[in-house]
Amino acid sequence: SAGDPNPAATPTPCEDTQGDGRWMSMHNRFVSDSKDKEPDVLFVGDSLVQLLHQFGVWRELFSPLHALNFGVGGDATQHVLWRLTNGELDHISPKVVVLWVGTNNHGQTAEQICGGIMAIVQVIKNKLPQAHTLVLGILPRGKLPNRLRERNGQVNMLVQEAVSALPHASFLDVDPGFVHSDGSISHQDMYDYLHLTPHAYQAVCQPLHARLKSMLEKPAEN
Amino acid sequence: MSGDDMNPAAAPQPVEDVQGDGRWMSQHTRFVQECKDAEPDVLFVGDSMVQLMQQYEIWRELFSPLHALNFGIGGDTTCNVLWRLQNGELENIRPKVVVVWVGTNNHEHTAEQVAGGVLAIAQLLTSRLPKAKIVVLGLLPRGERPNPLREKNAAVNGFLRSWLPRLGQAQFLDVGGEFVHSDGTISPQDMFDFLHLTSAGYRAVAKPLSDLLLQILEETPEERRASLV
Ligand SMILES: [Ca+2]
Repeated sequence: SAGDPNPAATPTPCEDTQGDGRWMSMHNRFVSDSKDKEPDVLFVGDSLVQLLHQFGVWRELFSPLHALNFGVGGDATQHVLWRLTNGELDHISPKVVVLWVGTNNHGQTAEQICGGIMAIVQVIKNKLPQAHTLVLGILPRGKLPNRLRERNGQVNMLVQEAVSALPHASFLDVDPGFVHSDGSISHQDMYDYLHLTPHAYQAVCQPLHARLKSMLEKPAEN
Repeated sequence: MSGDDMNPAAAPQPVEDVQGDGRWMSQHTRFVQECKDAEPDVLFVGDSMVQLMQQYEIWRELFSPLHALNFGIGGDTTCNVLWRLQNGELENIRPKVVVVWVGTNNHEHTAEQVAGGVLAIAQLLTSRLPKAKIVVLGLLPRGERPNPLREKNAAVNGFLRSWLPRLGQAQFLDVGGEFVHSDGTISPQDMFDFLHLTSAGYRAVAKPLSDLLLQILEETPEERRASLV
């Protein structure tokens, strides 16, 4: 019911079940990194954001835009929400925030995940009133058709609809067509049927880069 | 090391598809299929440390030229690798060297159990590929600062260093020597999430490994090479 709290929209730190404290180390590093940097673009999200930073396409397309990467593998919306409300936005004023998260929200409905993404958009609006948030569509996954693909597709429809009413946010579908006509996804694009190869990042990042460039060139209006 | 049957880290086990997109089995099925078409001289098997290496330039630079196949799956434990190797990933191939790198994800097992699981993998490879050499890579330290998992991984390496030489064909290679700085920290320049390697981190690991593989492949007798064609 509407009265129940949405777990996807409830800021939650990642519990250190493994015992090496890596999640909090990454968060602390992002907060401390942000004190020395003046990024124009901030990428926030899960492993799809994080791995982007490891490949040549980052240095080629996004470093020149003064971009910072706050991706953490495995993060769901509630984890990103916690990170952004606990220091990661306190020392920077990027013009654009690229948000890419949601595929790890296991056990949650498309409506809940959309609620989580919109809660992040709202936190960014509160903390960075001048910034525009570009929400990337979450990608299909799995070699063959499966319910997570359907769920991710529903999340995208809901988010696109919700964002369309907001002047400070927009949606970008960056799927260049990863699902082939026979319903399969190739390991040449997603090596484990979830994470992108460098080759696939090129296809995803060209339109994203073009969009970011045009957003950065526009004079700030709000 | 007695009672391997009782070691949970040496019990073959497929990954349960809890997420619901069947990715683990899709990857295993693809590897089995690749065995039918490829004739690798070197087989890499393990977890994400193996898998991610293939996404970096270093793979094409140092390992593709050795005719290497990569059967790494993110998150795999010794149990999962054992299951894969017993269920088709060694069919139709006769690599001269198998590189094994797994164990850091065995969160439910003690250091001795993890080492026993790696040993069970090496034993399986020895029996299935009696002519192959086996290179077991040491588990890397992890976490930004000193923590129990670093100590556990170091203990696993200690067991492996003493046990593996008993298998004539197997050897241990520690590639993690330089990741922990004098103040006890690991740098995100080497491990971007304090577990997985950056391309610079892979460079440090890949050079000694590539040197060892070249040496082993060179020592492979000509007549054996001919018989393997
Ligand atoms: Ca809008």
